[in-house]
Amino acid sequence: MNKSRDKKNKNKRKMTDLLILHIMFMVFSLGGVASKTAAGSEFLSFKFILFYGIVLFILFVYAIVWQQMLKGLPLVTAYANKAVTVAWGLIWGYIFFGEGITAKKIIGAAIVITGVIVVVSADDDKSRDSSGDGKVPDAAEIIGSDVTPQKEETDA
Amino acid sequence: MLKYMLIYIVSVFIASVSQIILKTSSGKAYDSFIKEYLNPRVIIAYGLFFLTTFISLYAYKVIPLSMGPILESTGYIWVAVLSFIILGEKISPRKLMGLLIIIAGIVVYSI
Repeated sequence: MNKSRDKKNKNKRKMTDLLILHIMFMVFSLGGVASKTAAGSEFLSFKFILFYGIVLFILFVYAIVWQQMLKGLPLVTAYANKAVTVAWGLIWGYIFFGEGITAKKIIGAAIVITGVIVVVSADDDKSRDSSGDGKVPDAAEIIGSDVTPQKEETDA
Repeated sequence: MLKYMLIYIVSVFIASVSQIILKTSSGKAYDSFIKEYLNPRVIIAYGLFFLTTFISLYAYKVIPLSMGPILESTGYIWVAVLSFIILGEKISPRKLMGLLIIIAGIVVYSI
């Protein structure tokens, strides 16, 4: 019973990590918006420096969050989900720069996302034999393994 | 347009080179925590990555925003090819198929 609750907590934590990761992908893709905005302004003008600064800031925060989320999520899951930035590119392009969304673009984007998932899942197959699910144990697991033996002792 | 697409792809390629350099650096043992970050490989890798932010920004002068992430996916191709050449990592048939699907998607998007 304890085990199933642990598993539930682990799944919950995974879902939270995944949600954080997706919020991060959305913000990360806004970095592209900042980059294109900087590209459209005069080199080293105030606007350029501001938006280029935003680009660097987003990359910096993204690197930290990505590293933290990898502690709880398999690398393959993280990379496969990253493909969503292709969809964000279409959405932000439409909203901020009035880029048209055509059937051709949607189909092309869908094919690219499929390709990315095939590539990263190929890596997963290779690593599964040697390193399990490829994740680092998190705090909940360590605490869990501490508590379980005690419980067994009292039961006995 | 094609010229700026290629510029963006070059930027992604340099970012992939930077990743491979970081990977070769992480496999080495260092005397101290500081040296783990402040060593030539890591500095060069981050320097290259910084450079790519400028190159892709330049490409964005012409290419649409939505094309950025599409061309970004060529990174999977560069990392696979560079890992094969430099680290001797094999490219499985399944991975090769995925890489070809990515290329097909880029072509469909761009034509």
